[in-house]
Amino acid sequence: MTVLEHTRAPQTEAGRRRSPLGSRWTPYLFLAPAALFIAIFQGVPLAQQVFLSFTKTSLLNPTNSTWVGLENYAHIFGDDDFRRTLLITLVYVVVCVVGSVGSGLLVALLLNRGFRGRGVARALVTVPWAAPAIAVALIATWMLNPQYGIVNRFLDAVGLGVAGGAILDSQTYALPAILVTTTWQLFPLASVVLLSALQGVPKDLTEAATMDGAGRWWTFRAVTWQVIKPTVGLLALLMTIWSIRRFELIWLMTKGGPVGSTETLVIDLYAQAFDSKQLGTAAAIGMVGVVISLIVIAGSRFVARAAEKENTR
Amino acid sequence: MSRLRIGLTLRIVTVLFVIGIAVFPLYWMFVTALSSDSDLFAADARLFPDFSQFTGFVDALTGGDTLRWLRNSLVIAAGTTVLSIGLGIPLGYALSRFSFVGKTLMTVALLLTQMLPEALMVVPLFALFNRFDLLDSLTGLILANSAFVLPIVALILKGAIDGVPRELEEAGRVDGARPFTMLVRINVPLIAPSIAAAAVIAFFHAWNEYVFAVTFIYAPQMQPASVGIASFIGEVGTPVQTVMAVAFMFTLPAVAFYLFAQKYVVAGMTAGAVKG
Repeated sequence: MTVLEHTRAPQTEAGRRRSPLGSRWTPYLFLAPAALFIAIFQGVPLAQQVFLSFTKTSLLNPTNSTWVGLENYAHIFGDDDFRRTLLITLVYVVVCVVGSVGSGLLVALLLNRGFRGRGVARALVTVPWAAPAIAVALIATWMLNPQYGIVNRFLDAVGLGVAGGAILDSQTYALPAILVTTTWQLFPLASVVLLSALQGVPKDLTEAATMDGAGRWWTFRAVTWQVIKPTVGLLALLMTIWSIRRFELIWLMTKGGPVGSTETLVIDLYAQAFDSKQLGTAAAIGMVGVVISLIVIAGSRFVARAAEKENTR
Repeated sequence: MSRLRIGLTLRIVTVLFVIGIAVFPLYWMFVTALSSDSDLFAADARLFPDFSQFTGFVDALTGGDTLRWLRNSLVIAAGTTVLSIGLGIPLGYALSRFSFVGKTLMTVALLLTQMLPEALMVVPLFALFNRFDLLDSLTGLILANSAFVLPIVALILKGAIDGVPRELEEAGRVDGARPFTMLVRINVPLIAPSIAAAAVIAFFHAWNEYVFAVTFIYAPQMQPASVGIASFIGEVGTPVQTVMAVAFMFTLPAVAFYLFAQKYVVAGMTAGAVKG
């Protein structure tokens, strides 16, 4: 890739030398407005949060910060509540990613066979992904309403009813309810993306494997899985990062409660900033989330490289 | 033969079951909006909409709040779309066509913005907007939303421009066209489908956005629909039918447009992320 660009560079350079604007500075002219914009509205705020995480700052008097070094970090990591928050975040991310990529793959395999009305089926399955999180939180809360919610009526009817029906007020059932809602919203994206990856599986290979008497599972593992593996990896990575930062759905359904049983990092961060008014602690919590995301990204690159090496061998 | 038929039937049933799971909540939103009070609170739930009970929709449309909310959302979403596409096209072009110092850094920075939670950025942006008098204004929300969606838009458009043959530009270059002219005349028309997809993503990112809107807007007349609808959660004063009617009108455009643009959105997202 880089080699290609190198060999091409002199040629285009010569063609454009006449006008000074068409030379080395051209790319910077094109990207300057966007880069400046991102720097102002993402870069500077991020830098401010990094700084804030080393200070004690109140929301009520935000211009008055006291430098406290690593105290905020020491404080949160020494806090049992924060460790529980980390654990809940881990559970939330792992279940959502595995659940939505797993069910997305099953649905993609189901829709990958040719049948009449496949286009319609594919479109309808995508609906949850397209629905705004606010609307999803609203309808989920209504469906889970203790007295009149359809979910409780259904659970009662099949004999699995939760006593009192207050699923979102229960420390046991609130998190599962949020996990199911998130997975419901995420699996369509996985299935649509995997469906397009499945188009890349060579038909003659799967047919040859079946003809040789290979079972479906074997064919899937030996042929299909090898083709879609990178896409699955990419989806898992994207969904992990998105799940770490997901806010609306959880906030609007439970606000992290009851008793912190659905409190993920981002919920904790928001509550620290706006309920406890501790901007420094909030920023430190946010930084932990960012660093975790960075580690996930770096780790995935490492795994992808190792897999690549394995393949070329 | 019969085994085949059983397999086929089983597959059809499974597909219908999956579709049912996917669409039921939104269907239920619609049914609830079109329910009489007695059906809503009866022991047996009514599973089909009752089209004679449309007061929820009438209330939603005549109450005044709904239309204003939707109008504000429309302004924010349209502004975000124009701004992020306007900045995203040249950025995507620079990333696709040129090799320059800092290119890798720029690409990595764009990808890294994907992991910054809005909830983390809301405090410093609040301070920034406070200083420049952008609180309680739709302009502030347009700026904040554009900053969050611009990286995705730029990566999608970069992927699209990657697909335009360079030969087309070489021809223009011989005629003495400047890079900017070539971008507008040659590339933009060719990547129109991807621009449309990126526009859909940008529009509904802003349409759905909640955290910034709820934090930066105080005046009720400036509230977008996301904040208005969220305020219904846990509130008991408004009839459930009206609430669901408003939410349905908020949801329908998002679902319709995403379905329309789905092919391009998926292609753009995977291309942007894989190649980025």
